[in-house]
This record gives sequence, C-alpha cells and structure tokens, in this order.
Amino acid sequence: MNHDDAFALMMDMLDGEASADRVSDLQSHLRACPECSSEWRALVAIDTLFRQTPALSPAADFVSKTLARLPNRRMRLWAMGTIYGAVLLGGLLPLALLGLLAYRLMPVLSQPTLVESIFESLQTTQRTAGIVMSALITGAGEVLVQQPVYVGYLLVIAGIIFLWGGVYRRLLVMEN
Amino acid sequence: MNEEQVWLEQAMKGDQVAFGKLVEAYQTPVYNLAYRMLNNSGEAEEAAQEAFVRAYTRLESYDPAHKFSTWLLSITSNYCIDQLRKRRALLLSIDEPLPPHPALHSDGAKGPEAQAVLNEQQQMVQSLLTELQPEYREAVVLRYWYELSYEEIAEMMDTTVSAIKSRLFRARRQLAEIGLERGLVPAMEKELA
Repeated sequence: MNHDDAFALMMDMLDGEASADRVSDLQSHLRACPECSSEWRALVAIDTLFRQTPALSPAADFVSKTLARLPNRRMRLWAMGTIYGAVLLGGLLPLALLGLLAYRLMPVLSQPTLVESIFESLQTTQRTAGIVMSALITGAGEVLVQQPVYVGYLLVIAGIIFLWGGVYRRLLVMEN
Repeated sequence: MNEEQVWLEQAMKGDQVAFGKLVEAYQTPVYNLAYRMLNNSGEAEEAAQEAFVRAYTRLESYDPAHKFSTWLLSITSNYCIDQLRKRRALLLSIDEPLPPHPALHSDGAKGPEAQAVLNEQQQMVQSLLTELQPEYREAVVLRYWYELSYEEIAEMMDTTVSAIKSRLFRARRQLAEIGLERGLVPAMEKELA
C-alpha cells in the first residue's frame, strides 16, 4: 500500500465507510509507516475536535428579530393576484374589442375594391421610399466626389470629438 | 402529516406564527452554519435572519420531496458564500481578527474550567476553519455539524459527489497540517484502533 492509497483509506475510515478487511490493511500499514501513522494521528485529532465541538446558538431574541423582518406574505399574495388579474384583463380586453370590430367591419373590409386600393397605396409608399433613398445615396456620393475637403473636415472633427470623449472619461475616473 | 409539514403549509398561506415555529426549530443549525462560515457573530446573525426571510419569500419553490432543513441550509450557505465573495471583493482579509461569538465568553451552565476548555476548543476550530477556502469550509461544516451524506452535500452545493469527496480530502489534510502547527495534540496510538 502506498501513501496515497493509505490516505484514501484513512478518509473512508473517518467516514465509517471502510470494511473490516481494509481497516486491518490500514492498521498494518500504519505500524510499518511512521509518516502515515503521524498523518493519521493528526487526522483523528482533527476529526475528534470537530465532532466534539458543539453547535453555537444565536442570541435569545433571534426569533422575534427575524419575524419582525418578514414581509407580509398575505398582502403579497393578494397584490400578485390583483396584478395578474389586471394583466390578464388588459391583454384580453383589447383582443376582444379587436375581434368585435373586425366582425362588425367584415362586410366593408371584404369589398374587393377596398382591398385593391389598400394594396396599391402600399406599393406607392414603397416606390416613394425607394426614390427618396436612392436620391439621398446619390447626393451623398456626389458631395464626396465634388467636395472631398469638407468630408475631410467632418472626419477630423469626428475624430477630435471621439478623442476628447476618451480624455473626459479618464478625467472622471481620476476624480473618483 | 407531521408538525413541520403543518407549519410549512400554514406559512405558505402567510401565517407568520407558523413560520416562527420553523425559525425556532432551525435557528441553531442555521446560525451555527452562518457563524462557522463567516466567523463573526454580527454578520452570522444577519445572514441567518436573511436566510429565513429568503426561505419565507420563496416557500413556493420548496420541493417537499427534499428535507426542509437541507433546503434551508442550502439558502444559508449560498448567502454566506456570497458574503465571503463580497468581503474578498472589498479587500477585507478574513484573517483579520473579528469579534468572537458571545457564547465563547459566557459562563453558561458549565464550570469555569470546563467553559475555558470549550472556549479554547471553539476558538481553535474557528481559527482552523478560516484557513480553508469558502467551498472547502462549507463542505467541512456540513459534514461535521450536520452529518449530511456526500450526496446531500453535493446536492446542496450544486456539484458532484466526487467533487465533495475531493474537497473534504484536501480540507482534512490541510486542517491536520495547520492544526499540528498550532499545537493540536495528535491522537494517541490506543485511539487509532
């Protein structure tokens, strides 16, 4: 038996999990190995010390102090119930109203001309947005080509603002 | 249905008197765990109270398939570990001298000599425990004062049985080494059999 095996066996013995055969093996090893024997004696002393040390109790007014800190659970349950009810109603009521509205307007909404006109207006909006976007991109591209100096100025100003932001943050940290 | 289950059921409905019975029944184990972990009577009392308040507010999450005491101790030890981490974050050393538990100075029912021996024993135990990492300390405390199995400790600490065995293995070795350095007398040969 080597030291590590012996030490593992010592742990089992302290936990009362070693079989009689293994206990006998360990005892033989301990008689032959002063190093393990010394370690085992220290472990037994620690084990005994911890097992013999009683648990500590809190002060006499511990229970009353603890109870004074408890939240009102009944009030909390009531409040939670009210909130859940309100949320449920808040979600169901608009849904019910929408359903009712859709039911009432169904004859009008199902008119083919109305559906077509809605579809057309959506397409027109999409086209307009496309034209505006392409005009903006083209315009920005032209400015970039015709006035590169202004673009350079803008970049330099943005860089200065960015750097100053970093310095300012550092100054704040130093102050704190 | 036993008394504890009745108290629990009533406490879930908001009965603070019933919860008070549970506090009364578990105040010593909860406080002892907190004190062994934090090594300070004021902080331990605060931690034990906080553990009970948390248990009360989270009673719905308690699974009756497990022991109530294990669940309660688990809340306590998690809170204590958080406190120790905060303490470390504040760069306060846990080694600095902290006020000892009042019981260590009280006369109690024992004679002065017996009380002195007991005080010395308590102080030695606390000084040894503070040398351990919080996770090792927790495993040792749960093993020695609560006689929990490896499985129960592993469940409480949200880890594996082998991890707990390994922690106890290292912790005991470390305790033995430091104990000898601090004058702990090794067991006699006749105690070994």
